[in-house]
Formats: sequence, structure tokens, C-alpha cells
Amino acid sequence: MSVAATYRLGTRLFWRDRTMLFASVVTPVGLAVGLPVLMRNVRPGQIAEVAQLFHGMLAVLLAITAFMNIVVALTSRRDQLVLKRLRTTRLTDAQILAGQIASTVTQTVGLILLSMVAVRFLADVPFPPDPLLFGAAIVAGSAVLALLGAAYTAAIPRAELAAAYTMPIFLMAGVGAGAMGPIPLPSFVRTALDLLPTAAVVDAVSTGAVLRPVLNLAAWAMIGAVALRLWFRWEPRRS
Amino acid sequence: MTAIRVHDLRKSYGDFAALKGISFEVPAGEIFALLGRNGAGKTTAVELLGGFQRPDGGTVRVHDLDPVADRAAVRERSGIMLQEAGFFPDLTVAQTVDTWRDFTAAPRPRGEALELAGLAAKAGTKVRQLSGGEKRRLDLALALLGGPDVLFLDEPTTGMDAEGRRDTWEVVRGLAAQGTTILLTTHYLEEAQRLAASMAILDEGEIVAAGGMAETLAARGGRVAFRLPEGVRPADLPLPVTLEGEIAVCRADDPDLAAQTLLTWAAGRGLRLTGLEVRAATLEDLFLDLTRSAR
Repeated sequence: MSVAATYRLGTRLFWRDRTMLFASVVTPVGLAVGLPVLMRNVRPGQIAEVAQLFHGMLAVLLAITAFMNIVVALTSRRDQLVLKRLRTTRLTDAQILAGQIASTVTQTVGLILLSMVAVRFLADVPFPPDPLLFGAAIVAGSAVLALLGAAYTAAIPRAELAAAYTMPIFLMAGVGAGAMGPIPLPSFVRTALDLLPTAAVVDAVSTGAVLRPVLNLAAWAMIGAVALRLWFRWEPRRS
Repeated sequence: MTAIRVHDLRKSYGDFAALKGISFEVPAGEIFALLGRNGAGKTTAVELLGGFQRPDGGTVRVHDLDPVADRAAVRERSGIMLQEAGFFPDLTVAQTVDTWRDFTAAPRPRGEALELAGLAAKAGTKVRQLSGGEKRRLDLALALLGGPDVLFLDEPTTGMDAEGRRDTWEVVRGLAAQGTTILLTTHYLEEAQRLAASMAILDEGEIVAAGGMAETLAARGGRVAFRLPEGVRPADLPLPVTLEGEIAVCRADDPDLAAQTLLTWAAGRGLRLTGLEVRAATLEDLFLDLTRSAR
């Protein structure tokens, strides 16, 4: 019940915040739909390439709508002392965070599904051959990215810096997934980028792999949970 | 029955010892005031009582529960008005209360909560447009949503105008009359004196005075103040006085008797004591004495 209450709060605030809606909805969906549509028109007949680009764009959606959004939401609520006020209620810390993460996952999955339908009709990208795997990958990916985002807030000194601090993550996720076109990379960088949780989702969706992505996401989930437990701050730094 | 029990409570931030082992108890249904200057440790005490931080030593119990380990259970029965906590600036007062009702078991109806806090007329106003005092009232409305048995109020009337303070005092008295235990911190001594049955004065993390409000004040006696007549030296007077500018102040266990003695002495010399003021000790006298002597 209480997780449901924080879930509703997170969702209501997500859709109320017009500035963030531009950053977390319009931009990523615009990119995830717009670029494949553009490519479809520039290189007709290359459906496989267009589909691959769309799969890469999933990393961008995850990095922005799941990761960046929760980072910005939690740091600003931390700095506004709203998280502190939430702790004056009967909610436990776990319920507060779980509600927020669940809400972020819902928005992210919803936007991915919306983009999937849009590219099906606007860019002829076929629906995923294995809908169950696709669904599991985007839900698990969103959850892990939201969890990591919540944990990452500990590294961010002030809310104004939240977007700037997530930019490198967004770039790594995008470049790693090929969403920004083929960029020549040294092999160790390639290997490192392939270890990102966003890469695991793209891997599952585009190759149908299961074990590799599951292990990858499980490891990141562990890292996120431990970091959250050790370092999450409910109040701004006093200094 | 004791509602709040604090024993040898300690908390430091780095090298700074905010609380150096304080102990007190608050019986159920009583209003207890925790007084002190800014930085005395009042807010730290409230945050430890609310379970927001772990104490470095000592124990805190609210209804025999540990507010850190059993936070959810403590919250079921308590309300907290923190000195500083945020709102969502774009929600209206009514939406804010509704949001918080969602987090509360068996919440008061929204109208009742707003009425209680004197905010019914502001229900449709966005939080960002409220004045400081109105935000404080909203704070109070949220703290009261769950109909708490124990209420922690950290500087509840700071930023309120005179009317707001009086309204809040009425609410606090009303709740206490219904059996709510209330711990309030304040640096408005008048507020503590009007509301609280007992108190503790904190200074630099230590309790320097504590007890029932009436007994503590009675034990402090009172004072007689008057303008020192021209040509009279303090040493000429029948009772010892201290000078505060041209005002002579005589502290006495029985200020009425002291006043009589002084007036009789003056009449015998054909002198008039002007600006005469006789009063029992106030919390302010006590507070200033204690914090002055502690420094």
C-alpha cells in the first residue's frame, strides 16, 4: 500500500514537471523515433540497419528516462528537503525508494513501448520476434538503471549539477550502443562499454541472448543495491 | 505513563558535540518544552527523537519503541513538524494535504486538517505563494494528519505573525487537552511558559535546568525594579540591588515583600520610587541567568 502511495506520487510529479518532461520524454522519444525514421528515408531498403539503430536508441531512452530522470528527481527532492519530509511519514526508507523506482520504470517502459509502436509504423521496424524477452529486457533494464540512478545521487553534491553529472553516463550508454552512429573505438573501450547495463539490454533485444544480459544486469543490480545502502543521502550535505 | 524517554543521549558531528548526554522524560499527555539558544542542540534532539539520525550513545524511546529501529511503528502514533522540511512548490495546499494523506494510516479529512491549522481559506493556493507563516501552518496540518498520540514540534511558530502564534498555541493546548503528548522546542520563552507543563533548558548540548514550569519559576523568586532616586546610592538601600542602567533591580524570593520593604524605606525618607515594577520570575530571567552563567 505504501509503495503504491509513493509510486503514485512519483508518477504524478513526473507528468507535472514540464521542464523535465521535455528532457525525459520529448527528447528521448524524439531521438528514438526520429533517427530511425530519418535513416529509413535516407537509406531505403536497409531495414536491418534501421532496426539496429532503434535497438541502440533503447540505451538512450534508458539512460535518459530511467537514469537521468530519477537522478534529477531524487537530488532535487533531497535538496528541497522533500525526502526528509517523506521520512516524517510512516513510510520506510525502502518504500520511499521502491515507489520512486517503480514509477520511473513504468514511465520508461511506457515510452519504450510507445517508441516501438511508432518506429513500426513510421520506419517499418518489425515488432520484436520474442515479445516476452523484449518485455523482460526493458523492464529489468529500466529497473536496474533506475536503481543505479538512485544510488548515483550520492555522488552529486547539489541538485543543479544532477543533469551535468549524468551527461557522461548518457554519452557512454549512447556511444556504447551505437546510437550515435559507428564511432571507431579502441578495443578496451569497446569492452568496457559492452559491460554497461544499457548494453546488456541492447544485447538481449538485438541478438536474443539471455544468459549474458541476465548476469550483467544482476551484477549491476547488486552494485546499485549495495551503493544505495551504503551511501544514499536523504538530506543535503551540511556545509 | 511515560511517553518519551531520553537517557544519556549523545550526538557529535565531527569534532562538534551537539548533545553531551542529555536525559529527560515526558509523561503521556503533557506538553514539554525544550529550550535553548540557536545551536544549543534542540533540533538535534528532535531529529534523534524522530529517528532521522542514529545517536552516538544513550537511548531514545517513544512509547517504549526505538525511533530508528521501529520507525514505521513510531510514526503510526507520532507526528513531526521539523524545523526545516520541503514541500512540492507547485502543488496547492489541498493537493499537498491529499498527497500526505496517502502516506498516513486513518488520516483526518483534508478539510478538518486545514481547518485545524487555520488554512481552509488557502486550500487552492500553490505552496510557492504561501508566506513563511502559512507554510508553518501547512507543516502543522501535515504533522496532525494521523491524529498522533505524540507530537514533536521543532520551533513551530517561527516566522508566524502574532495571530498565527496565538492560533497555534490554541491548537497545541487543544491537542494536549485531548491527551496528546507534545514535545516542543522554541526560543520564544513566552511560548514555552504559556504552553508547557515542564521544560528543560539546553545550552551547548547539556541540560542546564529542568523541571516543572511552575515549580522551577517559583523557586527562582522574582524581581522588583525601579528608577534609582537621585542622590541615592545602591548601598543606601535596605536590600541588595544590581543596576541595569539607571534602573535598580532587586531579586528576591518574595518580590511583594521586597517591594513593601523598599517602599517603606523610601516613604521614611520622603522619596518616591518611580517606574516601580514587581513581578515573579519569568522563564526569560531564568534562561538568561543560566545561559549567562554557563558562558
